[in-house]
Amino acid sequence: MYSRLKTSYIVYGVVLLVLLSLPIYAESDFIVALMPDGLSGSALLHVGILIFMFAYLSSSWNILGGFAGQLSLGHAAFFGIGAYTSSLFYVHFGLTPWIGMIGGAGLAALVGYGLGFVSYKYGLKGPFFALVTIAFAEILRLLFLYFDFTGGPLGLLIPLASEYTFWEYQFLEKEPYYYIALGLMLFGILISAIVSTSKFGYYLRAIRESEEAAEALGIHSMRNKMHAVALSAAMTALGGTFYAQYTQYIVPDDVIKIALSIEIILFAVIGGSGLVMGPVIGTFLLVPVGEMSRVIFEGGGAGASLVALINENIPAGEKFGKYMDYLSSGGGGGLAILLYGVILIVVCLVLPRGVLPAFKKLGAKMEQRNG
Amino acid sequence: MLELRKITSGYEDIEIVKGLSLKLEQGSITTIIGSNGVGKTTTIRTISGINKTWTGEILFEGKPIHDLPPHKRVEMGIVMVPEGRRLFPSLTVRENLQLGAFNKAAAAKADQRLDEVLDLFPRVGERLDQYAGTLSGGEQQMVAISRGLMSGPNILMLDEPSLGLAPIIVQQIFELISEVRRRGTTVLLVEQNVHKSLMISDYAWVMENGNVTINGTGKELMDNPEVKKAYLGL
Ligand SMILES: Nc1ncnc2c1ncn2[C@@H]1O[C@H](COP(=O)(O)OP(=O)(O)OP(=O)(O)O)[C@@H](O)[C@H]1O
Ligand SMILES: [Mg+2]
Repeated sequence: MYSRLKTSYIVYGVVLLVLLSLPIYAESDFIVALMPDGLSGSALLHVGILIFMFAYLSSSWNILGGFAGQLSLGHAAFFGIGAYTSSLFYVHFGLTPWIGMIGGAGLAALVGYGLGFVSYKYGLKGPFFALVTIAFAEILRLLFLYFDFTGGPLGLLIPLASEYTFWEYQFLEKEPYYYIALGLMLFGILISAIVSTSKFGYYLRAIRESEEAAEALGIHSMRNKMHAVALSAAMTALGGTFYAQYTQYIVPDDVIKIALSIEIILFAVIGGSGLVMGPVIGTFLLVPVGEMSRVIFEGGGAGASLVALINENIPAGEKFGKYMDYLSSGGGGGLAILLYGVILIVVCLVLPRGVLPAFKKLGAKMEQRNG
Repeated sequence: MLELRKITSGYEDIEIVKGLSLKLEQGSITTIIGSNGVGKTTTIRTISGINKTWTGEILFEGKPIHDLPPHKRVEMGIVMVPEGRRLFPSLTVRENLQLGAFNKAAAAKADQRLDEVLDLFPRVGERLDQYAGTLSGGEQQMVAISRGLMSGPNILMLDEPSLGLAPIIVQQIFELISEVRRRGTTVLLVEQNVHKSLMISDYAWVMENGNVTINGTGKELMDNPEVKKAYLGL
């Protein structure tokens, strides 16, 4: 047990070191030579940012969907609340997104409490709760499209800062975004680890496995579920602010879309939902697979060529927005989406609890053989 | 120590418990028997607060508790071991037990309670690090009862603890229930195994169609011709 724990910590430590130093050698000839044709080191950083952001979002979802077993299919709503709150404060009052994001997280938590209260008060559980979350996200998207102060369907353009400072949460280079995203991911892992070993985490798991038994033992299930919704929502909102600052342009159809909610869940489920590292493992496995398939099977279909897109000479933010379009329209001729689908089916059939538990089992077996 | 006064409850708009009154004496084993679907489970779920009390009163040591949420009742020492055991399968036995003592009142004494419970259920102690979902049916029931005891309850309500167990295990479970009472916990038992439960009961109530019809000591009910005919198959 002890040695297996140590091995996994060593693996995580090495991976972290590699990730921390990646920007230093991303542009080196060696890496560029390894990359598919026409891709630069900055594309590598971009994929890294994408992975970290989704790993963070997926970890945030996991607290509610994995630990507490409350299937939310509408987490894009909280993502959107985060993105819009900090951006609106920035656009209208010049408030730094670092503070705006706390406002966004707070608002998302409040909304989460409200959503949890209404759902659980009226006994909406399981699939019914899932439907409430989808409906909520869709309503929010439509409202954001409708109102003028959100920029409506035209979206919100975050004005360039006169100076690129940390305080402005805007940078010319990819590196700062890279490290912020990495920090977010580590933050997500830390919170998950704390929750998972806390009393609160045990309450959530008890509720997931048998709500009635949990109540019979004196666990206040409604209160704990509401806390879980709020925490998960607040964390997701911080991811929304990051996205807004990275792309510097947000539209409701991008930040509050169902496809985003689904993708967040997919990574957690494939990695192993309800486990601290499950969502992270899932994201690290899947995003590169999706990226590779897009590069390899470029062209055709709605999304056209990723290579062309990455080499296009437009600001990073715009590029990222286009990239999201590309994802949602089934880039690479839809092959990536198809591939995700196939992987999901195979994982559900072969490893119904996700990839991480299978890794752990394998580790235990090898240890038995050695010891 | 516990008194139900003309309580009604049920699901949605179907009334299942229909004006039921009964009493539970301190330190006793009291059994509710009755055929399938008469509302036994609903009754103890109403006592634990998981089902709402529609009308009537539930008094615990003279104080009304029927408006309190379930976790408040657990803090007062009223604990239910639900039908079908309902362990948390992907948690270990130890974690299951700890969850039984997480509430405010019990947390401080959790370690001491664990020792007491394991003294009573040595077989549970051998399996502390096993996932609850991999236990045999008998072991699961023992863990479920242990978990219920972890908060040091005044009243332990057991819903069909013998369900689906082999006769020899059933015998053990009933002996353990007697032992739980001997150590000072009042037990409210709901059982289909009428013979065995009447044997260990001080008092028993027969439930029919949402209400109690016959009551008396365990011995009296065993000798009651109607009970003999309807529930003991004699
Ligand atoms: N969640 C529910 N929703 C609607 N009706 C229910 C629900 N649970 C139980 N009932 C109904 O309430 C009635 C009483 O059920 P209850 O479980 O209290 O019976 P019981 O006496 O415990 O029976 P058994 O001995 O079979 O466990 C039954 O008719 C049952 O169908
Ligand atoms: Mg029953």
